[in-house]
Amino acid sequence: MVALRRAAHRSLWLLGLLAFGGCVAGQETAPVTLVFKYARILGNADPLPALLRQFEAAHPGVRVRGEALPWASDDQHQFYIINLEGRSPGFDVMMLDCIWVPEFARAGWLLDLTPSLKPDELAPHFPSAVAEATYGGRVWALPWTFNVGLLYYRADLLAKYGLRPPETYETLVEQVRRIRAGERDPTLDGYVWQGKQYEGLVVNVLEAFWANGTRVLAEDGTIFPEPARAADALRFLRGLIESGVSPAWTTAADEELSRRAFGDGHAIFLRNWPYAMDLFEGQDSAVRGKVAFAPLPGRARGEQGVGSTGGAHLGVSRRSRHPDLALALARHLTSEAAQRAITLGAALSPTRQSLYRDPEVTRDHPAMPRLQALALAGRPRPIVPYYLLLSATVQPEFSAALVGIKPPERAIAEAGTRLGYFLEAVR
Amino acid sequence: MTGREAADRRRALVCVAPTVLALGALTVYPGVWVLWLSLQRRIPIFDVSRFAGFENYAFLAVDSRFWSAARTTAVFTLGSVALEVVLGVAAALAIQTQRRGRRLALSLLLLAWAMPAVVAAKLFEWLYHPSAGLINVALGRHAINWLGDPLVALPAVIFADVWRTMPFVAILCYARLLAIPADVYEAAQVDGAGRLGTLTRITLPLLGRILLLATLFRTLDALRAFDIMFVLTGGGPAGTTETLTVYAYRALFQTLQLGFGSAVSVVVFLLVMAVAWAYLRLLRAGAVTA
Repeated sequence: MVALRRAAHRSLWLLGLLAFGGCVAGQETAPVTLVFKYARILGNADPLPALLRQFEAAHPGVRVRGEALPWASDDQHQFYIINLEGRSPGFDVMMLDCIWVPEFARAGWLLDLTPSLKPDELAPHFPSAVAEATYGGRVWALPWTFNVGLLYYRADLLAKYGLRPPETYETLVEQVRRIRAGERDPTLDGYVWQGKQYEGLVVNVLEAFWANGTRVLAEDGTIFPEPARAADALRFLRGLIESGVSPAWTTAADEELSRRAFGDGHAIFLRNWPYAMDLFEGQDSAVRGKVAFAPLPGRARGEQGVGSTGGAHLGVSRRSRHPDLALALARHLTSEAAQRAITLGAALSPTRQSLYRDPEVTRDHPAMPRLQALALAGRPRPIVPYYLLLSATVQPEFSAALVGIKPPERAIAEAGTRLGYFLEAVR
Repeated sequence: MTGREAADRRRALVCVAPTVLALGALTVYPGVWVLWLSLQRRIPIFDVSRFAGFENYAFLAVDSRFWSAARTTAVFTLGSVALEVVLGVAAALAIQTQRRGRRLALSLLLLAWAMPAVVAAKLFEWLYHPSAGLINVALGRHAINWLGDPLVALPAVIFADVWRTMPFVAILCYARLLAIPADVYEAAQVDGAGRLGTLTRITLPLLGRILLLATLFRTLDALRAFDIMFVLTGGGPAGTTETLTVYAYRALFQTLQLGFGSAVSVVVFLLVMAVAWAYLRLLRAGAVTA
């Protein structure tokens, strides 16, 4: 008994010694650990783990830990501001929604990448992606994935009625009427888009503004430079819902809700991002082989339709203890090879234009060359550090106009007043 | 004062000190700090930080979004608490009269109550889905635009909240019902009281105090409601489901306006305090008469 206990004691003691020795040894050769914060990528295969291992193989002694961000964009933003404002150096490379870049740059949370960039290093990317990474004439992030608003349409239905994809919203409305009258299917909706009170609504309204030849912010910072045109755009969107061209639930629709309705074959037109195409072409899709996309329509007496751009960028935290390695990691992940792997493995589009004509990519995604032209024409949302303030302030006003409880003129006027009060403090 | 009394006093102070310190550090200090913040224009990421006096409050007074949020908070609180109390009492009475399966009924009730609000909200998001949601499928496709119609969205959110929190009221009431001695009912029966008379003259009055307590808890919770509407509607459509706490969250954490957001939080705090005070007075008055 005693002997046993003694043996147990000894082994415990040994174990402790081993653990202690392990700690010391670990410290001696402590590899550099980089932390990469990103949102998990949807798609058949997450290509990121392999890309991170590649970087480790090329940089002996460096370990990269990928840490997942919360799912929702709002939560990601909140995570970043709490940690960055709290001066936590918990991560080195961070995935950023492009609308946050100027805000984070202004707050002093991002490393200025301008001095480290080679001339023309960003030239292969879409100009609007580079513009979104630039604030105050300096570059704060590397473009990673790209998004642009598209008009999806049921090619089979349009062909059946001898129609071409609409160039104006007026034509779109006309086509919806014709097709629905011919199909006599009460479950077939016309045009679905995103009208829920959230960031997606702002994107859809901005696109309606642009089609109507106006903006939310002028170059000199004037809010709603042409209020009558802005109100007219809102009235048009409201009209789509009132006339039944768009279903009533558009006012609660986000990307996925509208994507599913169209993907189940219950709509003729859909405004959405490029990621939807892969899902429509999936094995079990109800609309497989029946979907095509076109530029967003313009207005009959307005401008050509333009899709809003979006996407993710990679920034380096200013508090990173290894800024050079962190930048190297961001470069590796935004390289052509990495973007190719991401495009092939996930439903995301690259920011590098060469990939849109890359044989390996176009074999899997034959629509890529067409997408490039539309992406080139895309327009960014206002690139200002107070973008979230702007968006959060106008959301309920735009939504009120869409659901019809506020006349569009008043919604625009009240949004302008509120924005004025908040912006007077920050500019 | 004798030396002994003085020693007692000192000991009492030492005993109370940890509580006072903890409350001070965790409640009073942040509270005062928020109050101080609310008197400033403070947006750290823009290096804006200046004393503004009552500017934020003056803006709130004319801010239509604030008043809409205040109205939403009031409607949500009144609607959800009233429904919870009525349904909670009904459920408690139903379980009491049940002969079999009481335990099962109680467990099912507790299940809803034990569910985190965010999970319950996600569940209702699917139930309310316009084309694939169980409710609309049952009603026929595209029947009701639950979360996108400004007249329907708030009732839909209230219903989801009632589903989740009614069990709280029900279980408290059920516990009180079990404690009512059987001879009270026997006496009533001897005196010839009918079922309705027994309910209104005996059961409900005896439930009074516990109901008041349950209502107090539920009201305070409802005034600070956040997660259910944040997940279901994000405050939309047209801000019709945006409560004061959602508005404060948007200002504080989304747009980082610490001063303005704090002003909204201070209003929520005052509102909660006023309601709590009113209830406590009611409770105390009840204690005197009982």
